[in-house]
Amino acid sequence: MTEFFSSLIIPVIVSAAGLVMLLGGSRFFDSFLRGAKVGLETALGLLPTLVALVCAVSMLNASGAVSFVCAKIAPAAAALGIPEGLLPLLLTRPISGSASTAVFSALLEEYGADSFEALCASVIMGSTDTLVYVVTVYFSAAGVKRTRHTFPVAVAVMIFGIFLSCLVCRLFFLRV
Amino acid sequence: MLGRVFGIICILSLVFSLITGNTSGLSNAVLDGATQAVELVLTLTGIMCLWCGIMQVFEDAGLVKRLTRLMSPLLRVFFPTAYRTKNGAEEIAANISANLLGLGNAATPLAIRAMQKMQTSNPDPTGASDDMITLAVLNTASVSILPSTIIALRRAAGAAQPYLVVVPVWICSALSALFALLLSRAAAVAGRPARRRAKSAGKIAAAPGKAVGNMVSGAAPAASGGRGGER
Repeated sequence: MTEFFSSLIIPVIVSAAGLVMLLGGSRFFDSFLRGAKVGLETALGLLPTLVALVCAVSMLNASGAVSFVCAKIAPAAAALGIPEGLLPLLLTRPISGSASTAVFSALLEEYGADSFEALCASVIMGSTDTLVYVVTVYFSAAGVKRTRHTFPVAVAVMIFGIFLSCLVCRLFFLRV
Repeated sequence: MLGRVFGIICILSLVFSLITGNTSGLSNAVLDGATQAVELVLTLTGIMCLWCGIMQVFEDAGLVKRLTRLMSPLLRVFFPTAYRTKNGAEEIAANISANLLGLGNAATPLAIRAMQKMQTSNPDPTGASDDMITLAVLNTASVSILPSTIIALRRAAGAAQPYLVVVPVWICSALSALFALLLSRAAAVAGRPARRRAKSAGKIAAAPGKAVGNMVSGAAPAASGGRGGER
């Protein structure tokens, strides 16, 4: 049932845009082209940052540092219901969007896209954002120096999101 | 920021590979990493083009405006100052609508404009106001109707059903966002009496300068125990 529903989401959204174009006339196709161009620029604009960070992440993986650190924290994480494979993602997610994208794609390669680790990681990627980036960009733009309770609250929200993602994934995908 | 991350990771990797003796693996990792980045961008480009285009159609059809209107009763509760002073309220609603539609490029400038407007009605411009904090925290819990990047990456990695995660993502991001709103509001309410007390204390101790006042306001919430609930 959820599988059927999920498989319809993307076609329905795309068709809805098609309907708008059908009813609203050709100016909406121009809207599409304008938006797609922005998307292209965004995607290509990511490349320089990603070259640096994917490179760094792949070095860190190859050096053995990741597995060394993860093996140390794994027992504590397992007790909390977090799979060991997720730890590198959890450590990078709050800091940088590009770095966590790089880690996420390495995780998909290593565990397979249909594994429980990959599903959990997907949900975490989808329901959290980079804390440090958001807070620094927003507050420096406004000229604020003291962030008051921002970090404690944001960290609490992120921890909540991580546990919730693992829990929801277990309910959704691990029906034993 | 990223420069520091890159530097730390590189040096750490080099030291570790010298210890484990796997230097040839490290050398290959550098070369592979650069290639992988290009592959990653290639897998993302198609869907980002398509998705941004489709969302632009919805935006031009007036969907963002309608969403903005639909949400304002709820947002009035969580951003009381912005709505009372009418300073930044529109931008906040538009930022959230843009995030919902996955228009990250449009969402960030809107949030920044909302922050700058709220700053003009901030009684203490050196510190973030309650509503500013709520908006920042809300933006760290991403809510979007389709996590298109994640789906593209899953598809590229050979997932049988890359879209299978959409419903769990909805549930988790909606609950996280709600938790973000409630917790920031609770922290704002809990911090208020303590701050007022700290301010009057700061006035008494005003002679040694502002630093003392800041120290008091930093220490007061912890001392009063008023913020215990948010931890």
